[in-house]
Amino acid sequence: MRFVIDVGKCIDCGGCWVACKDINDVETGIERIRIVTLNEGKTGEKSVPIQCFHCDHPACMLVCPQEAITKRDDGIVLVNQDKCVGCRYCLWACPYGTPQFKKMGSVMEKCTYCVERIDSGLRPACGGFCATKAIFVGKSASEADAKASSIGAARVKGPTNPDAAYKGVTL
Amino acid sequence: MATKPDSIVGCSNIKMSRRTFSKLTAIGTAAALGGIGLSKYDHTIDKLIEQASATTSSGVNHIKTICSHCALGCGLLGKVENGVLTGIEPWEDHPINAGSLCSKGAAIREIVNSETRLKYPMKKSGGKWHRISWEEALDEIAAKMKDIKATDGPDSIFYLGSAKVTNEECYLFRKFAAFNGTNNVDHQARICHSTTVAGMANTWSFGAMTNSWNDMRHSKLIFFCGENAAASHPVAMQHILEGKARGAKFIVADPRFTKSAALADMYVRFRPGTDIPFIWGICNEIVKNNWHDTDFIEKRTYGFDQWWDVVKDYTPEVVEDITWVKADTIRELAYEWAHTSPACICWAMGATQHTVGTNNIRSFACLELLTGNVGKSGGGCNAFRGHDNVQGATDMCVLSHWLPSYYGLTEGSWKHWVGVWNEHAPITYDNMKAEFAEYNGKSLMHVPGLTVSRWYEGVLDSSVAQPKPVKMVFVWGHSLNSITEMKRMKEAMEKVDLVVGIDPHATVASSLADRPDGIIVLPASTVFEKDGSVSNSARQVQWRNRLIDPLYESKSDYWIMKELATRLGFGPHFTYNSPEDVLREINRGANVIMMRESPERIKRQQEHSSDFSIEDCQAKSGPCKGEYWGLPWPCWNDEHPGTPLLYRNDIPIAEGGSEFRTRFRGKDSTAGNPVSDDGISMLGAGYAHPEGYDEMNSDGTPGSGWKYDLDSDWKGIIAENKCPSGAGKARFMAWNLPDPIPVHREPIETPRPDLIDKYPTYDDVDDHFRVKCLFKTIQDERKNLVDTYPIILSSGRQVEHMGGGAETRSCKYLVELQPENYVEINPGLASEIGARHWDYVWVETLRGRIKVRAYVTERVNRETAFIPYHWAGWMEGKSYEDRYPSGTAELALGDSVNIICVDGYDRSTNMQETKACLCKIYKV
Ligand code: SF4
Repeated sequence: MRFVIDVGKCIDCGGCWVACKDINDVETGIERIRIVTLNEGKTGEKSVPIQCFHCDHPACMLVCPQEAITKRDDGIVLVNQDKCVGCRYCLWACPYGTPQFKKMGSVMEKCTYCVERIDSGLRPACGGFCATKAIFVGKSASEADAKASSIGAARVKGPTNPDAAYKGVTL
Repeated sequence: MATKPDSIVGCSNIKMSRRTFSKLTAIGTAAALGGIGLSKYDHTIDKLIEQASATTSSGVNHIKTICSHCALGCGLLGKVENGVLTGIEPWEDHPINAGSLCSKGAAIREIVNSETRLKYPMKKSGGKWHRISWEEALDEIAAKMKDIKATDGPDSIFYLGSAKVTNEECYLFRKFAAFNGTNNVDHQARICHSTTVAGMANTWSFGAMTNSWNDMRHSKLIFFCGENAAASHPVAMQHILEGKARGAKFIVADPRFTKSAALADMYVRFRPGTDIPFIWGICNEIVKNNWHDTDFIEKRTYGFDQWWDVVKDYTPEVVEDITWVKADTIRELAYEWAHTSPACICWAMGATQHTVGTNNIRSFACLELLTGNVGKSGGGCNAFRGHDNVQGATDMCVLSHWLPSYYGLTEGSWKHWVGVWNEHAPITYDNMKAEFAEYNGKSLMHVPGLTVSRWYEGVLDSSVAQPKPVKMVFVWGHSLNSITEMKRMKEAMEKVDLVVGIDPHATVASSLADRPDGIIVLPASTVFEKDGSVSNSARQVQWRNRLIDPLYESKSDYWIMKELATRLGFGPHFTYNSPEDVLREINRGANVIMMRESPERIKRQQEHSSDFSIEDCQAKSGPCKGEYWGLPWPCWNDEHPGTPLLYRNDIPIAEGGSEFRTRFRGKDSTAGNPVSDDGISMLGAGYAHPEGYDEMNSDGTPGSGWKYDLDSDWKGIIAENKCPSGAGKARFMAWNLPDPIPVHREPIETPRPDLIDKYPTYDDVDDHFRVKCLFKTIQDERKNLVDTYPIILSSGRQVEHMGGGAETRSCKYLVELQPENYVEINPGLASEIGARHWDYVWVETLRGRIKVRAYVTERVNRETAFIPYHWAGWMEGKSYEDRYPSGTAELALGDSVNIICVDGYDRSTNMQETKACLCKIYKV
């Protein structure tokens, strides 16, 4: 389990979004993390950060005709943009709309779990900077598990078995 | 998340990533970079990297520094490689933010390296912008200043200063105005929290946030009234939500269902401009049920009976009619306030920017007194200040009615500061006095000057109460689009001889005036290109380290001031070896707030940040053990830990305790016996001294010597458990204010004309900070305006932008999130005017009209509309992009709401009204 998100703490400030852009040099128009606001302006309004869930059974990986998508031993799902041909099968397959394409013909882009940061012992950008600590990103599965159980976050259910837990919203 | 465009005009893509750069520099060298042809990439940071690699030594540093956006004072690490700011990292053991940043803080690398920064001094002449040298610019400006001083007098130059520079620069800016012989100096605090300062200082002596960000973790009731921290102070929500998780009730009262309201336990919508009856309704119900804290009121307050005489009329039913809030909701809130302690009240511009702003804040402070919540952890009045150093700039009094550290304009105050200045370079009180002009037989040295909110009237109003109108203006670190009546201001900027803009960006100072010449803009460096101290809203003083050398030809504000001072003949007074030396001069003179935080102590804290607890900001171990983070003032001496909670008097002063000062002295007061105007003793119960005691001199005798004695360390007095500023009473009734007890007054433009007779605004004032200020005349003239302008217009914050937005609208990330200005309208109104989401609409008031997108949302009700205030670069639908020096217009421009906000001002401080005026909205 990787992402542990407490929706009751998300204020939609965009800190994660900007940190992700800045640290990963993400192009204008591409969002590796999104904050989706439900019921804006009404009782029950919630802001829900969503990034690639690095699923246990990544649908994107299954359908990719180029074998451009791989899953590392530690669970991180990565796309090799040199192999990607921009066919967008992954976008159709992903239940969460994660894959991002700049325009027709562009190669796929998505959250890399800040893999270079993880490999050098740093926390991924979104969790490292989150203004209210609504987003926790484990450096390891066990760290994330402990966090999820301490706040009572439930793992997202779905056929791909997403590697994320949320508190305050059922996805 | 808000609206995003498909593409951003003006953003070039980064082709060479900073990660790649890091890798390359790790192995290597300029040669490696040269080898891959980096120079072909047209992007600022790549150019910087290229230049740096060729000229500077290699190495990666992570440098502790402080965010430049809001008054939280979040810490972050600047990642500096070969002298280039290539990234940021979380400062995880920073006791305020624990590594967290909001979108603006996370954008700092991009903001510092922004391509649209002003790079060189520029001068407009013959309708065109020309690059000039610093020499030329400074010579011309200084010559013009001398000229105007000689022909029109020193008051014909207005010094519009900044809350976005260091404490040291703020202090020197106030000193600079003094040496130029004028009190015509002011800054953003006038239009953000001047009413907070007036309201709180007149209730209980200091005007600052009583508690702190972290302290809200210990609240049991967190009550927002005109504050939207999720947008304006995002990281504060970390502490608020922690308090909530521990059982605090979080209530948001606001005309708008904000992002903060979304996370609250209870939301209460009330009509803009009716804070006082709303709060009085709660107080009324508390007193009627005998729920008030009689012991606290008896021992530490004055004027309860007179206060009740006013408040008794604001029954929940009366209040319901005025405010939109149901009587039963008022009763419920009263119950919560009476039965939940500690309780704090938090606000920002939602409460302050009103014609009755000072009274709004007075009402909040009275609620805290009534329930005995002030002076407690988890309680207090948490005024959330705005800009990163607006508390510091206020403390340094870049203000037209005070000298640094809240000394008035009296002879005694001037002598105090001239004495301090004389220790640096010779000057006498008489020398200083000779610099000032006289008006109506009185030296203007003792007369408050023009304010930020109405400086332009000093140009346009021929009856301005000074020898001659203003002919030159410095716009020094201030976005003019945050000031209302922008069309009047534009007229003024076209009339003066010279406009000087000094800022990292060209800003509206370069583009607002329609004139072919007479504008000079100078590139100031950003705060990350210089060292200095900065004070956050919680009175915590932090040292902000320079990350990089100034980019381009930019120079620090200090350097610019010193160069001008030298040309004007008083250079030695502005020549210092280091910012530390300036801070030591502040430490020496700033007795009223006892700002004795030395550079050594605050730097030591920075080094040992991991020793400080996030719970109470106190160091629990290490060399700073016992100290509070930032040594929040008052910090009495080199051993004092700072005062984290103002007016908390159940602990000794030596451990951070605090008393209400004996500041309020009616006419019959004597040393040792301060009394109210009606002869009641103003001594209040103090720690270890239940009978209270008056303020004192350094030998302990009663007197005001504590404000003026430069050499005492107060240790002896503090050892006797006494506070040198006395132990006095807070005031329910402030006899010196226009309304000693706040009463409801309808906004100048009101949707309820039927209430005007009962709750009229103030009478007009002829000389309000030197210019005429209309209240009753315009309220009466516009009595039935609601018939044609039926919607209430409020302005406020977007989380992605800050202040006038010159920096944030120049950041491609933040602009991607918020690319255009908009008006929030309710779906009901949208369908009535036939506007769909994101259509262009006109929002029109008596001042003019602006073109913005329609943001259709239920955040606002059918009666109100809301527009963010960070936008500029258009005037009534027309872009001014071509008026900026080439390449310096921000990436996103838009019409400013301040073109159309009302021409109303607070009766005490001249704060502008931005939250309650009437408009109509129709499709373009
Ligand atoms: S703007 Fe304020 S909340 Fe955001 S990072 Fe900066 S100091 Fe923190």
